[in-house]
Amino acid sequence: MVSQVKTGIYPNETAAHRAALRKRPRISETLIQGFLFFCGALSILVTLGIVYELGKESLLFFTRQQWEETNRTLVDAMNAEQTTFRMTETGMALSVDSSIRLRSEVMTVTDIRGDVVTVARAQQNTVAAPHESGVEIETSRRVTLAEFFTKTEWNPQIGKFGIWALVNATLMTSLTAVAVALPLGLCVAIYLSEYASARVRGVLKPLLEVLAAIPTVVYGYFALTFMTPLLRAIFGVNTVAIYNTASAGIVIGILILPLVSSMAEDSLSAVPQSLRQAAYALGATRLETAVKVVLPAALSGIAAAFIVAASRAIGETMVVAIAAGAGPAFTFNPFQAAETMTGHIVRISGGDLSYDSIDYNSIFAIGLMLFFITLGLNILSQRIVKRFREEYE
Amino acid sequence: MRRTFVVLFILVALVATACGPKATPTAAPVATEAPKATEAPKATDPTPATVVKPVEPQLLPEVNPLEVTGNVVTAGSSTVYPLAERMAERFYDEGFQGQITIDSIGSGAGYERFCKTGETDIANASRAIKDSEKEACAAIGRTPIEFRVGTDALAVVVSQQNTFVTDVTVEELALIFGNTATKWSDVRPEWPAENILRFIPGTDSGTFDYFVEHVFAKDKEPHLTAANTQLSEDDNVLAQGVLGSPYAVGYFGYAYYAENAGTLKALSLNGVVPTAETVEDNSYALARPLFLYSDAKIMQEKPQVAAYINFFLAYVNEEIVDVGYFPASETTLLAAQQAWVAAMQ
Amino acid sequence: MKPRPHKDAIHLGTTGFTPNLSRRHRVGRAWLLVFQAATIVGIVVLTTLLLNIMNGAFGYAAVENKVDPDTLAVDGVPLEDLPQEELTRILQENVSAGLFRRLENDLPFDERARLEVYTLVLERVVEPRVVKQWSLQDSIFRSAQVKAEAARAYPKAELQFKSWLNSQFIRNPQSAKAESAGVRTAILGSLWTVSIAILFAFPIGVGGAIYLEEYAGDNAINRIIHTNINNLAGVPSIIYGILGLAIFVRALEPLTSGALWGVADPTTANGRTILSAGLTLGLLVLPMIIINAREAIRAVPSSLRQASYGIGATRWQTVWYHVLPNALPGILTGTILAISRAMGETAPLVVIGASTFINIDPNGPFSKFTTLPIQIYQWTSRPQDVFRNIAAAAIIVLVLLLLSLNASAVLLRNRFSRRLD
Repeated sequence: MVSQVKTGIYPNETAAHRAALRKRPRISETLIQGFLFFCGALSILVTLGIVYELGKESLLFFTRQQWEETNRTLVDAMNAEQTTFRMTETGMALSVDSSIRLRSEVMTVTDIRGDVVTVARAQQNTVAAPHESGVEIETSRRVTLAEFFTKTEWNPQIGKFGIWALVNATLMTSLTAVAVALPLGLCVAIYLSEYASARVRGVLKPLLEVLAAIPTVVYGYFALTFMTPLLRAIFGVNTVAIYNTASAGIVIGILILPLVSSMAEDSLSAVPQSLRQAAYALGATRLETAVKVVLPAALSGIAAAFIVAASRAIGETMVVAIAAGAGPAFTFNPFQAAETMTGHIVRISGGDLSYDSIDYNSIFAIGLMLFFITLGLNILSQRIVKRFREEYE
Repeated sequence: MRRTFVVLFILVALVATACGPKATPTAAPVATEAPKATEAPKATDPTPATVVKPVEPQLLPEVNPLEVTGNVVTAGSSTVYPLAERMAERFYDEGFQGQITIDSIGSGAGYERFCKTGETDIANASRAIKDSEKEACAAIGRTPIEFRVGTDALAVVVSQQNTFVTDVTVEELALIFGNTATKWSDVRPEWPAENILRFIPGTDSGTFDYFVEHVFAKDKEPHLTAANTQLSEDDNVLAQGVLGSPYAVGYFGYAYYAENAGTLKALSLNGVVPTAETVEDNSYALARPLFLYSDAKIMQEKPQVAAYINFFLAYVNEEIVDVGYFPASETTLLAAQQAWVAAMQ
Repeated sequence: MKPRPHKDAIHLGTTGFTPNLSRRHRVGRAWLLVFQAATIVGIVVLTTLLLNIMNGAFGYAAVENKVDPDTLAVDGVPLEDLPQEELTRILQENVSAGLFRRLENDLPFDERARLEVYTLVLERVVEPRVVKQWSLQDSIFRSAQVKAEAARAYPKAELQFKSWLNSQFIRNPQSAKAESAGVRTAILGSLWTVSIAILFAFPIGVGGAIYLEEYAGDNAINRIIHTNINNLAGVPSIIYGILGLAIFVRALEPLTSGALWGVADPTTANGRTILSAGLTLGLLVLPMIIINAREAIRAVPSSLRQASYGIGATRWQTVWYHVLPNALPGILTGTILAISRAMGETAPLVVIGASTFINIDPNGPFSKFTTLPIQIYQWTSRPQDVFRNIAAAAIIVLVLLLLSLNASAVLLRNRFSRRLD
């Protein structure tokens, strides 16, 4: 006989009974949960990886001093004490307060009068030395955080590092894209989900998804050879530049359309049928049901679609590289050429520039900046979604 | 594994042919690939072949791709890419059994893989190597050797609707693309007082760099700050831009002009029209060199790399025009061949 | 106190139901038109794009021979009637010594059939090439003008309707000549990389989504993960390339080059392999799969879960038998979009080290590779027009490949997508 235990709740409870009722350790359940957690946490690792890689190189961008030939040389020989010299006439312009280098000696330019340069010698822990005539003058470029974040001109080749020119262009193209894709995509999604028959939906949805797969180069040429001429025909050849952000933005909008329509359609479809029937029962029309009942219920999914699509628009590269031009410019005119952050990154990384130039390092800083911009936008959009989301059940 | 077999077979066959002139076909089974390679010399030459076989007008030993195996890894300029692809294909066509890969990633990244990470055997480049890159190469024990393989002329083009300009001097070119002139009449008074619409390649390209170096004496500022300047990294896109207006002007690789010769017009510089002759004798001012870079140690350790460069230098002039570039002059090519011979010693 | 009606409540006031109703129906119809118009715009754009591509891939082509076969006739005997020895001689005279040596080496000429030698002469000596290609649109609607133009501008050329998309194009490896170029290596490379990407990203993506929706509580870590995933969806693809280069190509080199398994491919000998590329693309599409799967899982009514728990199912059993099957359509949409994205990506693969020219088929995850978009990009940036024609053909191949890859997912999705009542 099993001895009675007083602590039980029920009169005839036995140890065997209790064992059966106790939560059994389920090893497989724990393992699965562990694996699933890993899957979720992987994204954190990816982010850390990205931030680390970009940060490492960005640091180089902000700290290194790069010397560049000016194609000017010393006209006369100079001794170790002399603080003025004459330079040859043609070549890159020098500027006051910049650092120059002759052989291994670094100097700071204090004054320039025509071709006569006054310098402070032996800067940056170098030693003043005599130089013979014909020595090449090198100039340095260095980026400061302040310049990076406050200036609006980006032209690393002539020492201009104001990120806003690129950020502005990115915002212009992606806002245009979002303005095209969101209403259009949402309308398509509502039509497919609430009006179209299952058969039509079954055909149209995958067809539109084909749009997502066409290589973006094709979209780029589509923008340049179809959309730009169209815009020029509408707004006038003199208003619309051949490379412009509007054309690129509209075509990116087309490119992200299937993302919006497909994902939004999914979340609309997932709204329980009972909600619709309830709305109809109250006498709502189809439109009212769709817009006032189904749409708010699916808002979370639609917002997710918007976020994915907008993110894709910001990150899109080839379309802007081809259709928006390769010249960074700070302009709010959508019909002017401007280079986006991604366009700049892809251009520099595939070009003929030296890999250890400051220009090349800049792409990592831009990448990091882009990363933080999308992060900001995401946090913002999540706040908004949280406010407007309506949860049923 | 297979490579060892091939080498083994070659050795066996060489011994066999050395023993008796009528030895082989039955000695080796025909089914596998390796014996085919050994039979090669028989077809053209009864004596046992060696890879090095001096031929008269050339400095280089003749290379027989049938006897070359192994891998050649190359990466670099997208400008050199079409030419390299053509030569690699011909190398295969003539019997090369190994694998050549060419990555079109830009000259800068090409040097990075060659000098910094040391992954590639050959760097394709459309600009000469920079000192800093040479230093990086030295740090991993490589001394880059330059082989000039051809020339890409830059065409300065206007639309065919442009009737007023056909010839410019290099100084005028600096005005046309510089920041002092805005209207065509600022360059030459008899030209119309219309804005100059400029179309130039992206600042990352070797084309841009070369143009700045030769027209603006390396000073990028006037070029980049000129009004109405549109940049694009794609030469096809630039051509589209220039087509748009009679007052547009641009410059890009000659091959892109040649394709649009029906609608575009190439300007002559100082009275010199870009042709094979003027580019070759350097009288046309804007001719940009194309290079391969390798290293003596790699070439000696990997005979296939040496063979590929040898083959490239030997036959590049037969293919280059078809690809759209201009041949390097006899003397430059000879210099490249000499560099090859020097590297192999 | 009378409760205030909800702002969206349908008013059934004394003003009458009927006149209001007809207005509401009119508005409904108007909006239906808007919705339909939007859908039509989408389809029109898709069609325009596809037509644009087709325009390049098909059309009349003027084909000119590099060497006129008539000039090859010997003593008045036309080329096609020449005996084998003559044909061999012509071949020897007109092709490079190296090529002749290779051909002789493959199979001696006296052992070859006459027809074979004749074909070789046609291919290598006569060498027909496309000198001008007209668009499909012109070929159909202006065929008379095209023919006239061809006769005028290319009197020696033969005008033929050319489909750049043909079986030879799919079977051939890469080539520097547009006429003989093919995409076999690129198709195989694309299939390998995309398969690896999906095999990697699908289970992890769905797993992550399940964790976040079914297991994770609403705490700081999980909120960070959530924001983070959304954010990763917006990181430009080239940055994934930089990351992949650092992690898969460099840090995990023994793994991705196959050296650890002893199966390293001597042609790569470093981490620039299909595996690295596939994993990088996997990371790239992961956020998209997770976001879609999360939304799909969230849309499964909690009554289903409660019912499942009610009959004693464990959490995993509930997820596996009830939540996942109902969430499948949404998960598959994410997968379809992910496959599409991975298939069309260029920039990260260039950083990872996809070759632009390689004409040996990849034979496993540790091979070097190239992919279709890389070829397409490369061809479109060439000066010669014919390369844009083969780029167009390659795009069609890409789209067809994608449709067939997606087909199973689409079918599954259609099967499972039923409204939850």
